[in-house]
Parts: sequence; structure tokens; C-alpha cells
Amino acid sequence: MYKLVLFLLSAAFAMMLHASQLDQEMAVRTLFWAKRALNRAVHAAAQELDPAALSRGVPMLDEEAAERTARAYLQANLRLDGDLSPLGDSFLQSRVEVLAWEVIQGTESFPYTYRNEPLGFAVTLRRPGVIMAIRVEYPRLFRLLGPIRWDLKGAAELVEP
Amino acid sequence: MKQLVLFILLSGLVCWMMFAPVYKHVAIMRQALLQQEVDYLLEVGASGTYGHISEAMILASRERLAERGFDPDDLVYEVSTTSGVDATDSARPVPRGTGIRLVIRYPYKNLFVIDRLVGASGPDPAGMMSASGMKMSEYVPDR
Repeated sequence: MYKLVLFLLSAAFAMMLHASQLDQEMAVRTLFWAKRALNRAVHAAAQELDPAALSRGVPMLDEEAAERTARAYLQANLRLDGDLSPLGDSFLQSRVEVLAWEVIQGTESFPYTYRNEPLGFAVTLRRPGVIMAIRVEYPRLFRLLGPIRWDLKGAAELVEP
Repeated sequence: MKQLVLFILLSGLVCWMMFAPVYKHVAIMRQALLQQEVDYLLEVGASGTYGHISEAMILASRERLAERGFDPDDLVYEVSTTSGVDATDSARPVPRGTGIRLVIRYPYKNLFVIDRLVGASGPDPAGMMSASGMKMSEYVPDR
């Protein structure tokens, strides 16, 4: 009888190892998925040129449109609603927080170095651009891993038309 | 005799324990490969050189995925844009500012059949796993 108990215990232990491995694989995948969504959001925002300023020869970004676009692309790629809370079919389960949002305009002197001490993030831009940081929480499939939160940082320069 | 009966009772469980994690891993890897393919097609398709995801590109993508063990005929590609124009026409690329959205779907098939050994039904074999993404086109027509 004790053999059966031993077998079941070791089986449960082996399944726990498999489950935590599965969760870790999914976590890494989710990290890259969220990072790419952020990259696409800043990339799209950095294309929102202000046509009026451009006609005067200054490459300026339309800050309002850029923010709207960044959020729209983040929502489309991560399946979020207007409040950045996950939709029903999203893999995420908690709200995505925007930690930093910065538009670097053409009036700055370039190369421009953006620094964010709390996030430990620095990036040098050669052209006007957009910087965004978000916090994403990984929805754990099993409770074997501790809670995982990532502070993702993305930056994009103006794509020359 | 008692041990034999126990073994028969537990053999299903043992089979499941040995092989189910492998199938779960395959499911994750397939999903990851689909996502990688979506990212690649969007990166290329939304770039300033192309501005479209044409049938030829989708065909090449099917071949790439077939090398990784997918059945190319079961892959479903959906290309759409935020403005509603067609993004698959190489003669009329999607202009800058319009988002190209791509979804690739693939059926689960028999990946979760083994879960029936322990009584879990899992997703429907005809159900689809999918990977999607949306990227803004950079294409600017020559003046």
C-alpha cells in the first residue's frame, strides 16, 4: 500500500514540475508578445506627424493623435478595451498600466537622451520620437510561480516619410 | 494479482503523465511559431518597401511553416486594415498611417486527445489556435 502512496506522491510532484515549466514557457512568450505590442504602439505613434508644423519645415508630432494611436495599437495587439483593461478574449487578466509617456519634439536638440531613473531606462534618439513604458502582469496558469510583473519600455523615432 | 489490477488501473494515468506534457509543449511551440510568423510578415509587410502582405508572401509563409511541421492547407490567413482597404494587393500598397492587421489560425487537431485518458476533454479538435498582430504601414508612394 505504501508503494501506491509513494507512487501517487511522486506523480503529483512530477506533474507540479511540468506545470511550473509550462507556466515559465508561457511567461517568456507573453513577455515577448507584450514587448512587440508596445513596439508597434510607439512605432505607430511616431508616425503621427503634425502636418501644419511640417509645412513650416519643423518635424513635430501631433501629441494628441500620437497618444490616441499608441493606445489604439496597444489595445489592438494586446486585446484591451479603452481603459486598457483586458477584453474577454485577451490572454492578459489584469489592467495594463502606462508608466511613462513622452513625446520628444523636433524643437529639442539631437541626439537627445531620455532618462527615466525610477524605471532604469535611458534611450538616445536621433530624431523626434515617442517613449512609452507599460506595466504588464502575467496571468499565472498555476499558482506555482510567484507573481510576475514586467515594466516594458519602448521607444520609436520618427519614420521619415 | 492485486498489483496487476492496480497496474492496469494506473496505466492510463501513467501514459498520460508521460506524454501529456510533451503535447502541451507542442501546443505552446506551435502557438509561438504562429506568433513569430505573424511578427515576421508584419515587420516585412508594413515596412516602407512593401506596404502589403500579398498572396505570394502568404504562400512563402505557408512553406516556412510547413517546414516546421504544420499542414500548409490547414493554415488560415486573415489580412485586414484599419481603413478597410485591401492589403493583399501588391500593386496598391497600403499607405502610411493605416494599420495592417494579420491573424493566422491553425486547428488544434489531436493535440489534446491524450487528456481524455484522465477525463479532461480539452479544446475541440476543430477549434483554432490563433496568433495576431497589427502594425502601422510605413509605405509612402514615390513622388
